Amino acid sequence: MNIPNSSTAPAAGEYAGDEVSAIVLDPGYSTTRAGFAGEDVPKSVCPSFYGQSDNDSYLFGENAIHSPVGNLNIKNYWGADGIVEDWDAATKLWEYSITSRLTGAKAGDPTKNGLNDPPANGESMDVEMEGVENNEKPMEDSPLLMTEPGWNSAKAREKYIEMAMEDWGVPAFFLQKTGVLAAFASGKASGIIIDVGASHTSVTPVLDGMVLRKGVQKSPLAGNFVSQQIRQTFKTATPEIPLTPHYLVKSKTQVDAGAPANAIYKTFPVEPSASFRANEEERVLTEFKESVVEVWPGPGRFNNGTNEEIAKNAPGRPFEMPDGWNNIFGSERFRVAEGLFDASAALTSEANARPKDEWTIPRLVQAAVSHVDADQRPLLLANIVVTGGSTLLHKFNDRLNFEINAIYPSTRNKLIAPGSVVERKYAAWIGGSILASLGSFHQLWISKKEYEEHGASIVEKRCR
Amino acid sequence: MASNRDVRDMLGLPVGEVAPPLASKKSKKGGQTKRIQGVAREVAALYGERPPPVAVYEEKKAYRAKRQSTGPAKKWIRQPFTNPARADGLVLKHWRRKPTAAPPLQDGDDAAMQDSEPTDTLENCADYVKYNITVDMPDFTDEEYDAHLRSDDWSREETDYLFGIVKDYSYRWAVVWDRYEWQALKRRERELAQATKQENGEDEANALATMPFAPPRDKERSLEEMKARFYDISAKLMKLRIPEVQMDADQYGLYETLSKFDPVMERNRKMLATALMNRNMDEVKEEEFLLTELQRINMAAVRLDAERDELRARLDAPQANTSTAAGLQSFTSSTALQALFQQLFQQDRSKKRSSGGSNAPGRLSLSANDMINTPSASNSANRRTSMALPAAAPSQTPIKTLSPHQEHRFNVSTHDRLTSGVTFGSDKLLKMRQAKSNVQTQKIASALQELGVPEIIPIPTSKVADVFEQLVAKVGRLLDVRKVKEKEMGECRVLARMKAARDGTAPATSGGVKQEGESSTDADRKEGGGDNDTPMGDSNEDQDDDAEGEDDTGAQNTPANADRDNDDDDDDDDAEGEDDTGAQNSPTGDVDAEGEDESAAQTSRATSLGHGHKRSASELSEGSAPSEKRARK
Repeated sequence: MNIPNSSTAPAAGEYAGDEVSAIVLDPGYSTTRAGFAGEDVPKSVCPSFYGQSDNDSYLFGENAIHSPVGNLNIKNYWGADGIVEDWDAATKLWEYSITSRLTGAKAGDPTKNGLNDPPANGESMDVEMEGVENNEKPMEDSPLLMTEPGWNSAKAREKYIEMAMEDWGVPAFFLQKTGVLAAFASGKASGIIIDVGASHTSVTPVLDGMVLRKGVQKSPLAGNFVSQQIRQTFKTATPEIPLTPHYLVKSKTQVDAGAPANAIYKTFPVEPSASFRANEEERVLTEFKESVVEVWPGPGRFNNGTNEEIAKNAPGRPFEMPDGWNNIFGSERFRVAEGLFDASAALTSEANARPKDEWTIPRLVQAAVSHVDADQRPLLLANIVVTGGSTLLHKFNDRLNFEINAIYPSTRNKLIAPGSVVERKYAAWIGGSILASLGSFHQLWISKKEYEEHGASIVEKRCR
Repeated sequence: MASNRDVRDMLGLPVGEVAPPLASKKSKKGGQTKRIQGVAREVAALYGERPPPVAVYEEKKAYRAKRQSTGPAKKWIRQPFTNPARADGLVLKHWRRKPTAAPPLQDGDDAAMQDSEPTDTLENCADYVKYNITVDMPDFTDEEYDAHLRSDDWSREETDYLFGIVKDYSYRWAVVWDRYEWQALKRRERELAQATKQENGEDEANALATMPFAPPRDKERSLEEMKARFYDISAKLMKLRIPEVQMDADQYGLYETLSKFDPVMERNRKMLATALMNRNMDEVKEEEFLLTELQRINMAAVRLDAERDELRARLDAPQANTSTAAGLQSFTSSTALQALFQQLFQQDRSKKRSSGGSNAPGRLSLSANDMINTPSASNSANRRTSMALPAAAPSQTPIKTLSPHQEHRFNVSTHDRLTSGVTFGSDKLLKMRQAKSNVQTQKIASALQELGVPEIIPIPTSKVADVFEQLVAKVGRLLDVRKVKEKEMGECRVLARMKAARDGTAPATSGGVKQEGESSTDADRKEGGGDNDTPMGDSNEDQDDDAEGEDDTGAQNTPANADRDNDDDDDDDDAEGEDDTGAQNSPTGDVDAEGEDESAAQTSRATSLGHGHKRSASELSEGSAPSEKRARK
């Protein structure tokens, strides 16, 4: 009788949702995702890399960091251990990711919101600002749900809430681990979450929506590692494969496979910095990863027996560089990703030592499971959630499935990998979006009042 | 105008009782007017008095509901609300339909004023408070702790910490164990204390002196230890609150489980579970293989049992009378009814014949005479016949009663029922040779050939046919028995070989057994061959054979005969007692013996029993062959 349409209100308690227009912020090494809870994709996805020119001002967003301006250093606020290192830049970048797309109108006057402050503030200016301070807080309206990696330190967590409460003035705040949220996005409350991102691979056992801290494992073998392997493959190839990013190429002409590129290059009055070039090269490598790299699907490792021969005889995949150089890649395309699963197969050089055996994904899973109570292991292994952009490598899941079944042949192991690219890349954000839009979540928020009463340490007590 | 009263007066009805008929009329009317919504009147009439068991709604629009274009767009507002589950009164805002102002007939200014009004009200949204639940925890006072709950292993502080963490994580023991950081907490405290002491300038020696006095037991608690402590305390508290005798069943069950928790056993169980999980691929594959094998064996056993049951049933069952077994169902068609009529007719006639032509019509008399001789016509008809025929003669043809000897001599037979048309006796015989399966037919043919029965029997009299039928039935049974015997032999041989392999004396004994089996079968064959020869000659020669003394008693006796013969062969057989006592007809007795043989898989016995079967088989054939011959003679 009552078919809902856009003009009818949703039935009360239909999906236990009660949206309070909360904002979900999911920062990652490669991109920072932000959006309103209850939506299915993050509205704002901006790179976690930021530009910093000599005069110390920050530049955020795709447009800013990809323009070849001299003296622009591309940096990332994440530390090598997967915890935020540069808090100042992180705060600004996160604020940008929210205010640029979500709460734009509330951002306040750009001359006063601190983003474009001249280096030296006059005292009179300060006095003036105090009067309008309340209006400046960019997120007074929306509660904020943030995600954090499973191994985040207590100090860093306190920093998160301080930043949200003090700098942004959010009315309520909550912090949740990415693993739990990725599991929620797949509709699971318990499971093992294998998250292969850009800088880190993490394996997080989750039970009833709570991370089992002892079992959290991480390793640096992830997307960036594959990039580094590709770079090394290019370097050691004979002749060396040139890696030219797009911004250097003015025009190109077609050449035969393997022939040197025939292109006209751009010249710049001030040469862009090395970090800029590295970041641009990374974009080419991402394309390479998306279109060429393949994980050896098993059975057996790539090095075993005749597998390499089989791979060699399989049809290769062509790739064309921005400057027109092109070739077909055969068995190399398997080798660059093999290091994720088999440390002995990783390409090494004096700069890049051989990765540790316990960093490989199968070993991480094994370590994570061994730190869980024996009774829960079968349950967790029946819900293995795969997420993160680097799991989109071709045949990644086949191989992972094979490896896990080889370790645990007697349990029922099930991989849960969302089919769509968006869901795989932004699983943690989507989980946060679900969580923050639930009516039953209202009582979990840490309100500003509570923060003022208990201080930043409340985050340890409430978000566990 | 005549009032109601006048009319009543005219009709001679009593005055005053007006209300009841009116009321009933009213109620009737009400019942009629109650219509089911959304259903056509004609359809509703079909429902009768009662409403349908399922609510029926007419789907007026199968497609999307039309946008309601009545009036301007409904307004939505961001309604601030508080959640009663929160103590701090956090105000959040969610979208709600703006409550419509009750009287819409105010002028523009009023409406504008009301627009701004409801946004200020604070909603108390208690929809989700029901999810704000806490777990029940046992609680204890200091006195109780001192009196009952002290433990050498657990300090009071750590116990409190444990209870706190269990409450925090709602009895999720895996999480509790994961987050249990008492040791780390203590260590941190100690370090802190150390640092403050040093800051305060207390000397190192003093600090060290206090150390051994209260050494905190720093060790990792296992999940079982925590559970044991918690359950122990819970059980003790439960007992304190409710004495054991007053507990009801549920409470006592809970108390039992709590007090009987055994951490050691639990730990061992977990170790076993871990070991089970950490098996390697080969072990898992082996298990799978064994499981499938087990399933296969079980299925085979079931099938074998079913086969045996079927065989037994076939050997036991009396000759099936198809016409009676089918019952009334067989008389559905007109031809079948015709056949029934014929049959009854025949029966009636034969009965009459046997009773010597007593003319009194029975209750169900279908004789043609009776049908013709209806009471009205009977007299005249009788008269006519009496004129035509000698008076002494009865109306029907006289029945000449023959002595059995004469019947035999003239080959006269009486039948209950005869099929129409003419059939050859040889056809009947040929039909008997046919079995259901082709293979069986061939086997029967070869058996008959062995017995020297020609394919076409020269004079197929009814007697010959009878005997032949018996013979064929026996051959069929024998074939069944042989099949079972071969199966049993095979099983025995396998078991013997398995046993031999297990004993380690493999090759010698098994070979011996095999030889024995073969030799015995050889002997059988030889014997059979000898038997086969004899029927060609004189039947009397058969008597020379062993244990053939009663052979001439005929086909009826042979089963028992064979049985006895079987006894003679298997004197050492303990299963024979049954055969002796119970089994009158050999086939069941034989099968029973086999059934027991299954359980005790002794090769020697099996072979001897097999021998017995063979023997009995040959005896049977011998027994039947001569009788058949005799009949032919």
